[in-house]
Amino acid sequence: MSSNDQAPINQDEVRRILDQHKDKTKTALRVCAHCSLCADSCFLYHVHDKDPRYMPSHKFINSLGKLYKKKGKIDRAGFKEIEEIVWRRCVLCTRCYCPLGIDIPEMIAIARDICRSQEVFFQWSELEQPAE
Amino acid sequence: MYDFIRGPLVWVAFLVFIFGTAYQVYRFYQLSRPKERYRLRIPFGKPPKDPDEAPGEPTLTWWQQMRLSVVGVNPVMVSVTTLFHLALVLTPFFVLGHNVLLDLAWQISLPSLPEAVADGLTIVVIAGGVFFLLRRIFLARVRAISTVYDYVVLLIATTPFITGFLAYHHFFDYDTVILLHILAGEIMLMAVPFTKLVHMPYFFINRFVLVHENTLGAGGSRTWR
Ligand code: HEM
Ligand code: HEM
Ligand code: SF4
Ligand code: SF4
Repeated sequence: MSSNDQAPINQDEVRRILDQHKDKTKTALRVCAHCSLCADSCFLYHVHDKDPRYMPSHKFINSLGKLYKKKGKIDRAGFKEIEEIVWRRCVLCTRCYCPLGIDIPEMIAIARDICRSQEVFFQWSELEQPAE
Repeated sequence: MYDFIRGPLVWVAFLVFIFGTAYQVYRFYQLSRPKERYRLRIPFGKPPKDPDEAPGEPTLTWWQQMRLSVVGVNPVMVSVTTLFHLALVLTPFFVLGHNVLLDLAWQISLPSLPEAVADGLTIVVIAGGVFFLLRRIFLARVRAISTVYDYVVLLIATTPFITGFLAYHHFFDYDTVILLHILAGEIMLMAVPFTKLVHMPYFFINRFVLVHENTLGAGGSRTWR
């Protein structure tokens, strides 16, 4: 991970970004019927043997949704989980389909923005390489 | 209490429902701005040569498009939810008991469906509710995002139908059941603007007004500020 990843979370900055997108975040969280119809539209969900953690709604509820509900009061460990969700479990291919029209990739993108502001991002170069 | 539920609360419930829903729509228009529509329509249309041009004729037949859409991917869920929602929205307008009350209050009456049909539609809603309940309990992916709230909302949406059914068939004590029915109907109406049931107006906003990948119709006309 990056050099600065042990610094305390700047909650004001997190809240500032949350506030910028407050209306659409709040609406998406409220409108979601928790129906799981988006699951089958995500190729990563299928690749991972239908692991519910790869379902698009699960990803946005547990990343941006969590940040929003806790008003940004999330520590480094919490951010570590969100990092895993927004970088490893979603590639922002924007192929997900929600019958209620929730723009899930946009929610994940906002969560990525918040993570970046706290120097939380995924370093592809540190990914373990498959054995030669 | 008894009189309050049968009298003033009915009006309060309808006002909360109507003005609450209108307020949600008004808020949306306040918080959004006009935006040009989005034209990308791959893979159902030939990609246009000029990006400003509308997509060409679909390369897939109507049936092939359906099979690729949510209808083909989740046919059972789509069938159940369509029947559930149609019955849920339409039945209350055609129940004889409701029309008698409307007639008494304002001398207007909608055509009532034969009582057996209304009763059948009520059963459709209840059965749909049971289906949603079972999948919420038994499907891992639905369980993974469910909280008590989802069960409560499902209950709020279906109790008017369960109690209406019990009242119509005079199961249990009619006076108590009908009072519970009225209360349940009022709770449901008042819950629409403030719970996940706001998806009623927001389905149309999200799928027809907001511009994004899955906008239907003309492609949408607004975006969030
Ligand atoms: C808020 C005020 C309401 C009042 C005063 C009211 C009153 C009644 C009455 C008097 C009946 C007839 C029962 C009988 O035949 O003896 C009835 C049946 C019924 N009501 Fe309501 N109701 C209300 C709200 C609702 C709502 C909001 C819904 C659904 C969304 C609903 C759904 C039904 C259904 C489905 C039946 C018929 C059940 C059947 O035939 O099997 N009601 N209601
Ligand atoms: C009239 C416009 C409406 C539309 C277009 C609509 C559309 C939808 C859609 C697309 C879903 C997603 C999952 C699924 O397909 O089941 C859904 C779920 C749901 N809707 Fe609606 N809806 C409408 C009105 C209502 C109303 C008025 C109620 C109840 C008062 C309601 C109750 C529900 C419930 C309880 C669920 C969740 C089912 C579950 O637990 O999985 N809907 N709706
Ligand atoms: S399909 Fe849409 S409403 Fe249903 S769980 Fe996924 S995001 Fe929520
Ligand atoms: S944008 Fe993310 S959640 Fe949506 S389909 Fe692609 S990988 Fe899955």
